[in-house]
Amino acid sequence: MEQPSVPPLSRALTQDAINAYADAAGDHNPIHVDETFARATPFGGTIAHGMLVLAYVSETMTRAFGDAWARTGRLKVRFKAPARPGDTLTVTAEPKGRAVEDSPGREENGQARWEYAVTCANAAGEALITGTASVEAA
Amino acid sequence: MPAAKTSIAALPRGHVFPPAPVRLTAADAAAYAAATGDCSDYVAAGHVPPLAVAALALRLLLEAYELPPGSLHTGQEVEFRAPLRPDAELAMTGEVAQRSERAGMVISVIEFTVSGDGGPIVSGRTTVMAPQGES
Repeated sequence: MEQPSVPPLSRALTQDAINAYADAAGDHNPIHVDETFARATPFGGTIAHGMLVLAYVSETMTRAFGDAWARTGRLKVRFKAPARPGDTLTVTAEPKGRAVEDSPGREENGQARWEYAVTCANAAGEALITGTASVEAA
Repeated sequence: MPAAKTSIAALPRGHVFPPAPVRLTAADAAAYAAATGDCSDYVAAGHVPPLAVAALALRLLLEAYELPPGSLHTGQEVEFRAPLRPDAELAMTGEVAQRSERAGMVISVIEFTVSGDGGPIVSGRTTVMAPQGES
């Protein structure tokens, strides 16, 4: 079976979205929500929560795999640079092929998984998140 | 006056977080989906966005411990094990799996698992860097 392709996802990041995420996640660190505070930091302004940007990555996989993602999805990422209000973010998931679970003792051992190289980049092409996503192959 | 929170950077390797009860209500899930703009068919069908559970776990840690100013969330792993029903009774467990110091920063790796009656829902590893000496 050919590895399923995953359509990219684009999002315009706004301060309103960051503020809403701060409320939903209970994380009101001023670096995210206080422009005056954030301007005096090395970032020079507010930045999005890493978990907000990661939510866009997870949504990309959710759209492609639905329930299978919720049951067997895995993400492993590094936050390489901050996302800022005004950024247009694009998540891509490039197929990396099929891997076999190697976790002796777990019931998933031996199961085939589809692996993807995931990236979330801004409009300038700067990678803000890079990593790997995988999901059990049907 | 509430007691000052302990900095996550001050926790030693092997520190075990007390098990914490967790409940993600339908309203919480809807607020999370709205905040992240998740309009996938999966969420539109009434399911909880899978990452919402991990976000909830991190929220519990933030409520109990302090992340000093200048802290950075540098890495995240999550493994989804089962879909979550809103209002399910869950429990979070976790520990500081690794702790190291480099260039004036403390790097802590926190492992957590959120489980329900049927077993784990989500597990993860969160890497944070915090300025040394801040607490």
